[in-house]
Order: sequence, then C-alpha cells, then structure tokens
Amino acid sequence: MRTAIILLLMLAAAAVVGSLIPQIPNSPQRVAAYQIDHPVWGRFFQAAGFFDVFGSWWFALITTLLFVSLIACLIPRSRAMIRAARARPIHARELDAFPSFAERAVALEPEAAAAGAAAALRRKRYRVELDARGGSVAAEKGALREIGSLAFHWAFLLLLIAVIIGKGTGYVGHATIVEGYGWTDARFNYDGDLRTGRFFGGGFSGTQIQLQDFQDDFQTSGIPMDFRSELTLSGPDGASEQADVRINHPVVFNGIRIFQFGFGWAPMVQIHRGDRVLFDGPVVLGQTTPPGGNPLAQPWQGFVKLPTLRPQVAVAIRLYPDAAAYFRSLATGVAQPMTEANAPFMEYEVWQGKLLDNSLASLDTRFMHRTASGLIGKGWTVDATRGCVISGTSGAIPASLANVTCPDGGGPAALTMAFPDLRQYTTLQISHDVTVPWVLAAAILIVLGLLPALYVSRRKVWVRARPDGMGSVLQVGGFALQRKDRFDEEFASLVEAVTSAAGGAPSRASLEVSP
Amino acid sequence: MTAESWARLSSDAFNVALFSYIAAMVTSFAYLAFRKERLHTVATVIGVVGLVANGVSIVTRGIAAGRTPWGNMYEYSSLITFLVVLGYLWLIEGRAKVRTIGGFVYGMAVLTMAMAVSFFYVGPTALMPALNSYWRQIHVTSMIVASSLLGIGCLLTIVYLIKAPAERRALERMRGSVPPPIMGGAGVETSDPSAPPDYAGGADEPVGSAATSRKISLPPSATLDALAYRFIRFGFPVWTFGVICGAIWAQQTWGRYWGWDPKETWSFITWVIFAGYLHARATAGWKGTRAAIVALVGFVSLLVTYYAVNLWIAGLHTYAT
Repeated sequence: MRTAIILLLMLAAAAVVGSLIPQIPNSPQRVAAYQIDHPVWGRFFQAAGFFDVFGSWWFALITTLLFVSLIACLIPRSRAMIRAARARPIHARELDAFPSFAERAVALEPEAAAAGAAAALRRKRYRVELDARGGSVAAEKGALREIGSLAFHWAFLLLLIAVIIGKGTGYVGHATIVEGYGWTDARFNYDGDLRTGRFFGGGFSGTQIQLQDFQDDFQTSGIPMDFRSELTLSGPDGASEQADVRINHPVVFNGIRIFQFGFGWAPMVQIHRGDRVLFDGPVVLGQTTPPGGNPLAQPWQGFVKLPTLRPQVAVAIRLYPDAAAYFRSLATGVAQPMTEANAPFMEYEVWQGKLLDNSLASLDTRFMHRTASGLIGKGWTVDATRGCVISGTSGAIPASLANVTCPDGGGPAALTMAFPDLRQYTTLQISHDVTVPWVLAAAILIVLGLLPALYVSRRKVWVRARPDGMGSVLQVGGFALQRKDRFDEEFASLVEAVTSAAGGAPSRASLEVSP
Repeated sequence: MTAESWARLSSDAFNVALFSYIAAMVTSFAYLAFRKERLHTVATVIGVVGLVANGVSIVTRGIAAGRTPWGNMYEYSSLITFLVVLGYLWLIEGRAKVRTIGGFVYGMAVLTMAMAVSFFYVGPTALMPALNSYWRQIHVTSMIVASSLLGIGCLLTIVYLIKAPAERRALERMRGSVPPPIMGGAGVETSDPSAPPDYAGGADEPVGSAATSRKISLPPSATLDALAYRFIRFGFPVWTFGVICGAIWAQQTWGRYWGWDPKETWSFITWVIFAGYLHARATAGWKGTRAAIVALVGFVSLLVTYYAVNLWIAGLHTYAT
C-alpha cells in the first residue's frame, strides 16, 4: 500500500506540473506563446512532455505502476478478507487481559448463560461462535470496515481502468452548424480541435445533425440565461428524431453525446462578378475580446476568401448585430451588449493580392493591398470594388456613416456583395465515450466504500461462564481496533445485555451460597 | 424591500461579522496571554454575534440575488467562514470543550473574509447558464462543507505542530531535573507525547481546579491530534463526494467528466494528499508529527485549489470569481 501511496503522490506531483505549465490540449495558444517567450525552457518542457503531462509516456508509466501496485496489494488483502469471512471467531482464555473487562454473577448455569450471552451478542449484530459446553463465546463485529476499504480501492482501480478505456477509445470535438444547415459526424467536419483517444479505431458515427433554429436568452444586463439548439438528428440507419440541446441538457443519440458549447453570428453573403457567383453562403464569424471587455459588446469578425480570382481576393468583415445598441454605446461611451439582431450591419474591407493561407479565422495581408472599404446593412447590395452602395436603405445606420450610393448602379465587371440575411450558428461539442456509466458506478462505489472504511470499527468480544453455586460467573472481555474512545460505552452496554440474557443477577439465596 | 436594500443589508452584516471576528480573535489571544476567564466569555459572545451577522449576510445576499447564495468566490468565502466558526463554536468549544484555540479560528475567519472583500467582491447577480444546474448546488455545497471541515482540521494540525515540540521539551526538562516519580517511567517510555496527568477526557483544562489560578494553555497535543483527525476524516469523504458531483456536472455542461482543468487538477491533488494523510495515520511510524506535516501540505494544496487557481491560473472555473 505504501508503494501505491507514493505512486499516487507522484501522480499528484505530475498534476501540479500540468496545472502550472500551459497544456496543449487545454490551451495550445498559450503553449505556443510560452515557447516563443522562453525558447530554452520551452524546448526542455517540450522534450520532457511537460506541455502534455496527462498524455505523456511517464504519466502513463506512473498510472500503470499504480495499477500493478494496487492489484498486487488488493488481491492478497481480498483473499485474506474472504478467509476471515469464512473463519469463525476464535475462542480466548484469560479474558481479564483484554483492555475492557468485566465480571458478573448471573443466575443461569454456565451452558445456558453462554447460550444466552451468544444470543444477546447476535442481537447486537455480532458474528458469534458459541461453545456451549465449554461456556465460551467469541464474537466480533465490524468486518464492513475492511469490505468498505476494499470496495473503495477496487472501485478506484475500476475508475482508472474505465477512464482509460473510455478516453482511449472515444473522441471529442466541436461542430459548428449554421441555422438551416446540416453537419455529419465525420473526421473532416470537425472544427480542427478534434481529439481522438489512443486506441480509437476511426469509426465516427456518421450521425447527421440539422440545426433548425438557435435560441438565446439574455437578461437586459447582457448576462446569458439560456442557449438552445433545436436539432433534427438522423443516424446512418435512418432513425431520426427532433431534439433540443441546451446548456446542462445534453442529448444522447446514436452513441454520441451532443452538448451546447458556443454560439455566434453567421451572415449570409453573396459575392458576384457580373453574373458569375463567386461566393454564396454563411460566413461563420468569431470574436476577439480585449481583456476585461464584454464579449457581447464586441463586433464579430470573419473572412471570405476567393482564391480562384486573379489577383486573389479576400473580404474582411466585422459585424455589428445590433446597430441601435452599437450607436448608443458610441454616443454614451458605455459598451452596450449586442444580443439581438436589430438592423445588423457590417464593415467590410476588400483586399487584393496573394493569399498566404486558407484559414477562415485570420488574414495575412503581407502580400495584399486594400482596394475598398465600406458599410453594408442587411438587405443591401454594395459595389465591393468602389465601396459604394448599389441598393438598400440605411435604416438604423446614420446616413452620414452609410457610404454614398454608387452613381451609376455598378458596372458589369464590378465585384458586388450582398448581405441578404443574418443567421446564428451553434457550436456543439460532440463526444463519444462508452465507459461513462462505468466511471459513474465506480465513483459511487468509491463513496459507498469510503464511509464504512473510515467510520466502522472492528470490535472483538469474548464471554466465558464458569459455574458458581446455583448460577455462574460471567467474564466479559473485549477490545476495539479502531475508535477506541467510543468502545467503553458500547462495552458497558454489551456487558449489561449479556448479563441480563444470562439470567440477570442471581437471587439473594444463590448469592449467599456462593463462596 | 428591494434587491438593492437587501444587498446593502448583506454588505453591512458582512462588515459587522468581519469586525466581530477581529474583536473575537484579539480577545481570544488575550485570553491565552492573560488567562482571565472573563476574556473567554467575552470572546465567545463576540464570536456568536459575528456568526449571527455572518448568517444574516449570507441569507440577505441570497434574497438580493434571488438564488442560493453560493455562486462566486465572495459568497463561498462568506459561507466557509460561517461554517468554520460554527464548527468551532459547536464542535470544538461545545462538544470537545477545547477553548484555547479560538484565536486561530477567528484569525482564519478574518483572513478568509478579508480576502473575499479585497479580491473577490461582486454584486449579487444572476448566474451564467453553465452554473444553472442542481448538480452545481450539490457540488458547491459539498466542496464548501469539505473545505470548512478540512480547514478546521488543518488549523488544529497547525496548533498541534506548535504544541507538540513544546510538550516534548517540557517532558525532557522534567526528565532532566528531578527523577520522575511514579509516572515518570511511563513518560520516558512513550515517544508519543501524551496528555499531562492533570488533564482528562480530552478537556484542555485541569479537572476540578478552581476558576482562577489555574494554568490556561493550548490543549494537549494528543487532543489536538485526535480532533484534527476527526475533522479531516469527516471532510475527506465529503470532498470525494463533492469532486464526483463536480464531475457529473462537468459531464452535463462541458461534455466531459474530467478534463484536467486547473481547478479539477488541484482538487485531485488535494484529494491525493489527504488520502495520503489518512493512510499515514494508519501506518506505524507515521503517526504524530509526520502525519501532521502531510495534513499541512494538504492544507496548502487546499488553499491553492481554492484561491490560486481562481486568481492566477486560467481555466473554466475562472467564471466563479
């Protein structure tokens, strides 16, 4: 057991390292930043696996050794427990040598007195061994302590195994789905942070998820109250169901668990060159919030990249979902949360040149130059080469800010951009973990085993009756292995019970006979 | 009453509690120093006043926010202080009749409350949806109860670590000077510093002596050790249960029951150290000072779990600040 404790403490020490050094699975950006800031330490930590402590070989090694040590310790202990459960309590002599001892004269003869005492101890839920002829009783109680302790330790082992199997054969990732669109559970549809277990065979469920509607509720102060994704789920076998996924209310379907994870805005954007459609679909926007800023008061950003054009073109957009709230915060200087779509508009910048990457989350403009910029409201169409409005009414946007209307309605070769609709997207966390019920069962067993292991005490009690005149003299001895301070009281009540079961104090006549 | 006035009442009661605990702490230490029985009575009265004000502050905070008042670090701290002082007055002073460690308990209460106002104060507001689950209630409640129990246990351990060497020194002096009378042999034999003969039944006061001229000092180390063990033994299963409830809640909210988030990691570290303490207590040769040091390490880990993770280490639990 000592080895197991040392290994457990080593596991804890490893966990300390894991909590102090940024971890790749939890915060890859911070790891990258750390490696840039501290190149020497960064290289050392990288080599030592300190950036992914919980996935490192030495963490696995400690865990394996812990297994071995626990099993090596638990098997003999379990055997001993079974042996002890089969064995009967052993009789004792010299009862007056035990820490607790009492002697009482009783009315019944030794044989009957011992039987009575045994019955009394049984009523107190002791395991009792009676040798009536010898007038001897051996009793013990509190085997639950060892049973509980073993249950706790086996359950801990089961927990570790279940966790390793579950995480090892499972996967977890994030799916972004725009309202009205669908998503299929397959490797390349995940957002890029898909994590698969070490023993994962590659079998994704193929479940199709269609987002019918996304609902969010906020208080007026901007504190989020509820998020709900209304989904249609269909399995590859054709089974289909409607389900609402809310925060704290995941849905299990076809072996995967679906959780509400995030949300955001996705404007529908159409880009044309003349009659040619260059882009038509939702643009999933993200946010970068300055430290301490209210994310709901920030604009949403994203990019449309058109790599097939020569020169290549990228459109950077910043969405303000609630124009009224935005202009109110400009006027008052107090950031207003933009939680509802209310006359949404976007700032756009058109860049031309060479695209350096296909990421939809960032734009590298080192080989590009800006050709136009302007505003586009919902329902507008703009000329993206000149930055002027072809059609659309300014609505909630002050006329002074909305760009001038194009003089000629846009030439045929111009790049036009339209913003017909604003939708929301939901980010769902998809996970597959088959051992969750096992982990839960093990956890429950841990608590159930822990309580008797800490609170039950093992107690042993012996009674001997020897003839004394008409009745007998009872000797009661015993001790507790744990919680000794509590035993005195219990022992007194046991002596009481045993005495009265053995006929109680003898009558005066018999007392006079006794020497 | 409006939510604002309830909130103001809560803040006022919090301040009354804080200042009462400061006064109780000073009076308790004065009791240790000047050994005047009246000082102890005064300290207990002030402590009870602080406890009531603390309770009022928690309840009115709940009314002001319209939810159970344990949703952020400020509220946890207030509740932990309440439970620690309650546990002290009820179990240690009331049941175990140990009366001389009040200053340490009130000191801890004052520090916890002062940390709460200076680093964690937020107004009573509604909770984020991630916090909107009854598993949160169970998880947070058990973590607070467990922290309070383990906190008291570790406080007793600290006093034990102050007391045990002093007792050993006293024993050595006794052995060195006069040849010990009848009980001297026993005193030399035992390595475990046991209670001096004039103490009985875990009480820290000599039995049957007059109210005035008796010696008032810290309780015997054996008493402190036994009490500390009881509190930690009670706190450990509650902590275990709380961590498991947290995992169930995490499974519901974040889609994984365990993700080595800093708060999770540190709650595991704390669990392991206290598991080590319980094993150490059961292992020969580790009883006494060595086990106490393990408990002390556990206390440091508890503080890191409770404070450092929220203040310095980023993670999912940071919204709890």
